[in-house]
Amino acid sequence: MNLQLLISGTSMGFVYGLIAMGMVLIFRSVGIMNFAQGEFLMFGGYICYMFNRIFNIPIGISLILSSLIMGVVGAIFMRTAYWPLRKAQSKAIIVSAMGASIVLKEGARIIWGSIPVSMDKVADGTAKVSTASIQWQYVAIIVIAAFLMALVYILLEKTFIGHIMQATAQDQYMASLIGIPVIVSIGLTFALSAMITGVGGGLLAPIFFLNNTMGMTSGAKAFAAIVIGGFGSVPGAIIGGLIVGLVEAFGGAYISTTYQLVLIYIVLVLVLMVRPQGIFGDRIQEKA
Amino acid sequence: MKERFKSIRLTNVVIVAAIFLLCMLIPSQTSSYMLRVLNIAMITYLCVLSVYVLLGMCGQNSFAQAGLWGIGAYITANVVMKLGYSSITAFIISVIGTALFTFVIGFAFFRLRMYYFTFATVGLMTILNGLFMNWKEATGGALGISNIPEFRVGGFVANTETSKYFVILATVVLISLSLKFLFHSPLGRSFMAIRDNEIAANCLGINSLLTKSIAFAISGALCGAAGALYAFLSGYLSYQSFTYQQSTMYLIMIMLGGTISPVGAVIGTLIISLLQEWVRPLQNYMQLIYGAGIMILMIVQPEGILGGGKVIYDKYIKPKKTSTKNG
Repeated sequence: MNLQLLISGTSMGFVYGLIAMGMVLIFRSVGIMNFAQGEFLMFGGYICYMFNRIFNIPIGISLILSSLIMGVVGAIFMRTAYWPLRKAQSKAIIVSAMGASIVLKEGARIIWGSIPVSMDKVADGTAKVSTASIQWQYVAIIVIAAFLMALVYILLEKTFIGHIMQATAQDQYMASLIGIPVIVSIGLTFALSAMITGVGGGLLAPIFFLNNTMGMTSGAKAFAAIVIGGFGSVPGAIIGGLIVGLVEAFGGAYISTTYQLVLIYIVLVLVLMVRPQGIFGDRIQEKA
Repeated sequence: MKERFKSIRLTNVVIVAAIFLLCMLIPSQTSSYMLRVLNIAMITYLCVLSVYVLLGMCGQNSFAQAGLWGIGAYITANVVMKLGYSSITAFIISVIGTALFTFVIGFAFFRLRMYYFTFATVGLMTILNGLFMNWKEATGGALGISNIPEFRVGGFVANTETSKYFVILATVVLISLSLKFLFHSPLGRSFMAIRDNEIAANCLGINSLLTKSIAFAISGALCGAAGALYAFLSGYLSYQSFTYQQSTMYLIMIMLGGTISPVGAVIGTLIISLLQEWVRPLQNYMQLIYGAGIMILMIVQPEGILGGGKVIYDKYIKPKKTSTKNG
């Protein structure tokens, strides 16, 4: 029982970690919290469903294809919802991201219908470990998510493109002075963020059915993960995601399933009270 | 500076007078269905006004407004039905109760700044919605509370749509007027000082934690009033009304209208509430168009309709002499 919860909680935690990481990448790059990140998860899941069930492509290839398409979606999102507003107040960008999230949600409903759908698992069957039975899908989620996170780390830290993206995140004006095309660099960041989040959707769909309103709850949990882990910190997002996943799994089993989300946010508020900058966050001095 | 305030106030008066005349004529001209839509719109307006106080005046963004609205509604339902108090008492208890609740919460939450506060309110909203759904004794759980008695004072019972309309209208007008006082009071000015620059406001001797908590409490009181009115109007409360989506709707409404004045709240609420009714035939694509519309509006005019109007006014209508450089 406990082992089962541990595995399912960890794998959900990794998915929340993926969403949270996507948000943090965008936040570090442009200083804006993306309120449509949960919708990326939903949309990615649906695109994966389309390849897998409608075009009958094997799930592994569907995941890769859907992540590529999500990259394009992310770039379009950046060009339409963020770029024209980059000099406006941040609340205008928040509202336009909300508009974009409505568009994605309703677009998915109009294209794929509002009936919850499912698709193939990456790994079928269950493993028996003493009394616990563990779905292989959970293990696959953990492996794939960890692989993606490592990939993003290598991309950002070891490659030229990653350095360009980090330079833009630090100072857009300076980056433009040394010849970095800022719009391309930010577009790449959004694309990367949408890609990893979209894969999360494809991994989640076989366990929980896909529907067009799932983005909001997953997005809310990812917020909690980011704030618990520390705003703007990538390792913080992953650890925060794990904490949220585990609290959800164990709280659901031992306390109450109806209060799962409430429980997560109580943990969040407690963390904020004790350590307002989160686990990995730095205390930032406010500028006048 | 003074000139600008004066001119804005004058336009406000004209617009308010016109709307008031219109409001008096409406009940005799429209169907009771349309009146119900307007009643709901006016209650929504109160909630949007609460966002205006918090975001437009004090610069803090909260996503918990729909939850606070729910608190007001459930307090009224419980006080009227379980304790048997009169409608007016229930209304006052709702307003004060919600204000106290938000003040205490604000005192804790405003230790967090900016984004962190916003996220804490998203959390609060989620917790409140969970409570409304599951706390059977106070909220009726998933079934909700039904058969809430109508608003009554002495022999007057607001049981028709028209009488409800006038009760709500009177409350809305009273609250809007008292908000005008707030706008020009020292407290209101300290809100705006915090919005413009919190550190500078602190240097002027404003206790920003206390002031922000008071702003949150005032917005809570507005939501509480809206909740009480909603309970009397609909007679039935369900947790499905008080959701995070509703809170985002309020933000969208105020951004659509413009955050520089309560008139923005009126414009935003009216446009979105009526739009939802008028485009019913397009129901299937309505939400999509609406989302795209919000994006386009934010791109074209990030300050909202009122902000756009002000730019045009400053540029073309206002006498050239006073039109100094405008930020």
